[in-house]
Amino acid sequence: MTDDRRLRVFVVDDHALIRSGIRAELGDEVEVVGEADEVDAAVELILERRPDVVLLDVHMPGGGGRAVLEAVTAEAPEVAFLALSVSDAAEDVIDVIRAGARGYVTKNISGPDLLDAIGRIADGDAVFSPRLAGFVLDAFADPAGGGLPVPSFDAELDQLTPREREVLRLIARGYAYKEIARELGISAKTVESHVSAVLRKLQLANRYQLTNWATERRIN
Amino acid sequence: MRRSVDDRVLGGVCGGLAARLRVGPRTVRVLAVLAIALGGMGILLYMALWVAVPAADETSSIGGRVVGDRRELQVVLAFSTAVLAVLLVLQALGLNGLGIPAWSLLAGAVGALVVWRGASPAESARLRETLNAAPVIGSTPGKGWRLFAARALIGAVLIIFGISELSRSGNFSGAAFAVLVGAAAFVGGFLVLFAPWWARTLRDLSTERRERVRAEERADMASHVHDSVLQTLLLIQKSAGDPAEVTRLARIQERELRHWLFNPAMLGRRSDQPPTFAAAMADIEREIEDTYGVGIELILVGDCPMDDSTAALVGASREASVNAAKWSGCAEVTVFAEVEHDVVSVFVRDLGKGFDPEQVSADRQGIAASMVERMARHGGQVTVASAPGTGCEVELVLPRSNGDR
Repeated sequence: MTDDRRLRVFVVDDHALIRSGIRAELGDEVEVVGEADEVDAAVELILERRPDVVLLDVHMPGGGGRAVLEAVTAEAPEVAFLALSVSDAAEDVIDVIRAGARGYVTKNISGPDLLDAIGRIADGDAVFSPRLAGFVLDAFADPAGGGLPVPSFDAELDQLTPREREVLRLIARGYAYKEIARELGISAKTVESHVSAVLRKLQLANRYQLTNWATERRIN
Repeated sequence: MRRSVDDRVLGGVCGGLAARLRVGPRTVRVLAVLAIALGGMGILLYMALWVAVPAADETSSIGGRVVGDRRELQVVLAFSTAVLAVLLVLQALGLNGLGIPAWSLLAGAVGALVVWRGASPAESARLRETLNAAPVIGSTPGKGWRLFAARALIGAVLIIFGISELSRSGNFSGAAFAVLVGAAAFVGGFLVLFAPWWARTLRDLSTERRERVRAEERADMASHVHDSVLQTLLLIQKSAGDPAEVTRLARIQERELRHWLFNPAMLGRRSDQPPTFAAAMADIEREIEDTYGVGIELILVGDCPMDDSTAALVGASREASVNAAKWSGCAEVTVFAEVEHDVVSVFVRDLGKGFDPEQVSADRQGIAASMVERMARHGGQVTVASAPGTGCEVELVLPRSNGDR
């Protein structure tokens, strides 16, 4: 990102400690244009200030991050969301992604990594943490591997290409995009487009199938 | 008037009345027993007071609580219609000896149900205590054959009495056919009218019980979690001067919380169930974080049952993770394990100082060799990729036999 125009970031989290922690981590690299601790205020302020990226807590009283996402996206689809959570629950993760968040990271992410993720999200790319990559691999498991033997209604959307699978595996193994590009002998831009394609599939694939997977995972 | 809490036999009604009327409680009790014995109106009165009058330590009455809760009200109404049906059938069969005592017994039964459904936790605990102390009704287990014999005797006496009463009334002989048909039609009508409702109410009750059990489990879990978090916070305050220890404590607590919150099934895993591959990998995570104070980011895709070869893979993964934790100098190690149809793979990666695989010290070579050997015995492979300054990644791949062995 160019220096003359810092990214405008908005922070939504119901814990004041986390909000100030995020502010401190972000430092001066981006401009924090506001913060909110509950759904209604968040929606109102985001629509008023139109930030580039919203850092969104998944769990909040009054409908959680999902409610904010839905309300804002209806009015201002250009605002990008990065979900920030302490939750390991597959349902939560899949839920915010499907509601339109372009990425999911856990709150213990380091400052530089968070800045990197914000930049990526603002550029229209997707950000996958290793855990999210693991979830997606699990959810889209090869039916032959005993994963999800659900008949697919839209073969293209309900399956990952071998290349996408490779990229996700490397993310799950803790590789950064640059390292993935080097490992696979492709450009970083191509890695990003693979991840964005996976994100799209995640958002559009058969809802029933994914919900099922998330609940099953909880039970088993 | 309030029902007495301290001076009570059942509901504290007599005790309360005595206090209110300023007479001896014993006088009230004797009168109550007499009222019950003479025609049974006493039961009606007792139950009415029990249900309508709040206990001394409470503000709302049992009846008020039941009426205020739609589901409770429904249970009581369903039960009442059922008992009513039985009584009407008996009446129709010509057992006129039932009379007022039967109706007041009905009132008593309905009242008892209202009490059972609507009593506050404190009151139902008191009642249970009373009932357990009573010799026959008592549900305390383990009192042996004596209790069982008492029950059987009383049950048998009641049944024999009922049969003799029935045959004495004599309506079953001769022209009683019409009566029987009438009674059958009557019962049928009641069934058609109310059976679905009774069934639904019963179902609701069992759902409710299940929900209550679940809620209790959750409450148990919550109290355990709160307890352990409090202890950890205490330990953290005590070791505030030791950052490594603080990190270790926080990490242990975090992992435990996560298990409670997001993976209750794995935590509540019973020891008599064979552990799966995923569970065994999670054990590694726990062990290393506790022993070395290094965080493990464990990502699991898929799962499979344990056998000799997966056990070898878990063992080798443990060695690789321990190595990374001990030598890399990194605070976090990523472990990615994926179970596919024909292969299980584990990647252990750190971003630490790395090493030249060609020139490692003898002790580490030994570890690596044992890992390789272990995997090779089951047809698996180990690949170590590292260079000084670039961290290290160990790849463990095991072909799956898929049960055709």
